[in-house]
Amino acid sequence: MAEQPLHLRPDAALEDALRGLTEAIAWPTPGPSPAGGPDLAAVVRARIEAGEATGVGAPGRSRWSWRPARRALVVAVIILLALAALAGAAGLGLPGLRIIFGDPAASPTAGGSVSPPEGSPTSSQGTASGPAPTPRPTPSRTPAPGPPGSGLPLGTAIGLDELDAQAGFHVILPSDPAIGPPDSAWIDRSTNDQVTLVWAADGSLPQTSEPGVGLLLTQFRGTVDDGYFSKILGQDTTVELVLVDGGRAYWISGQPHQFFYEGPRGFVEDSRRWVGDVLLWADGPITYRLETSLGREAAIDIAESMR
Amino acid sequence: MIDRARAGDVAAYESLVRRYQDVALRTAYLVAPEADAADAVQDAFLKAYAALPRFRQGAPLRPWLLRIVANEARNRRRSADRRAGLAMRASIAGPRDDAAPSPESEVIADETRGLLLSALGRLRDEEREVIGARYFLGLSEAETAETLAIPAGTVKSRTSRALGRLRVTLEALDGGPADG
Repeated sequence: MAEQPLHLRPDAALEDALRGLTEAIAWPTPGPSPAGGPDLAAVVRARIEAGEATGVGAPGRSRWSWRPARRALVVAVIILLALAALAGAAGLGLPGLRIIFGDPAASPTAGGSVSPPEGSPTSSQGTASGPAPTPRPTPSRTPAPGPPGSGLPLGTAIGLDELDAQAGFHVILPSDPAIGPPDSAWIDRSTNDQVTLVWAADGSLPQTSEPGVGLLLTQFRGTVDDGYFSKILGQDTTVELVLVDGGRAYWISGQPHQFFYEGPRGFVEDSRRWVGDVLLWADGPITYRLETSLGREAAIDIAESMR
Repeated sequence: MIDRARAGDVAAYESLVRRYQDVALRTAYLVAPEADAADAVQDAFLKAYAALPRFRQGAPLRPWLLRIVANEARNRRRSADRRAGLAMRASIAGPRDDAAPSPESEVIADETRGLLLSALGRLRDEEREVIGARYFLGLSEAETAETLAIPAGTVKSRTSRALGRLRVTLEALDGGPADG
């Protein structure tokens, strides 16, 4: 017997047919994508934490809570800011991180977007309200003799077996065997006792903005209060908000940029001044900066492998 | 959980979003099939977060959220290319592998599915929305009213009218190409 046409079926049958159609509709799904990545809820959370939901009547602003390293939530690229499109300086009012956009030739205080904490020491070229950027260097140097990192203002060379003792905190390392242990380690007593691990450039670690250096991993102590970091970014530098182990991180790429942050004893200007592509993230009181030419995904993989 | 989210606990809010993200995506898709549902839902959840202090304590959260989602999706509904874009796409794979087919789906032949989808695509937005809310999302009349921002009494009458229009459209489709 032929099936009765839908339009002739009683209401209840038509309603059943509609309900039965539900599973056949190609509904959008919240992810994660087959390639991995956060689901919609994680993206929403990251966007809230990036300050996108702040409006009249928004709930109390939560502190930036760095989650301890745990299983990967993998990458989420949520924000891509093309600085070339920005006229003048603009500040990202992110809890725990302050990034300054603008022409490196201009004062970071232009537009009133920088307000380092009171009592911050000023650099020789700084101002009372923040350091002034210095001219961009011409990257035409050759590696200095000695272990990788020699010739860079990274402080004093230390042994890999004395990292924790020298740093005063637990220094973590990438667990990826392809990366292996660093080729040299340094501590800069004049710059917040920051520890830098250096890997030489080779076939698997292409050279960074520093000649002969394939990977630079800096670890330092700091608080996570507002105004923690300042970065001076020029044109053609982009900032992407990404996730490392589910925590917020920043991938800064393009042209070299300057780096400042608020350490326990005041405002710190990185002695190297200009750094290349970096992944920046924190876990508890320690902040990490990974400098690599491997690209964003590889940088996140390395960061998530650190133990 | 809602109280914690209202107090600014983003993790609590993330959990709420995760609980409702599926139905939110479906709502956005229903309201604006031609728009990017994920985009609309993300923005809607951001707005909802900002609006949480205005959420009446003790009220049901789901329709409140879905109303914001439906609004956001409606804002993205493009007037151009609407007729062509409205027919919701049937999943090529049919029912999802991870879901056991419901008794209803077993009685619907593929051909009938296609016919029904075509007919739905020819309904007015408000008719498609009310049918979708009731039969696809499984919302109650009260939830449908709040989600679609219409009086509770209107849900029943609009559903009835939409079903009537659906029959007419199905008949036209069944008998050959429809004129509209």
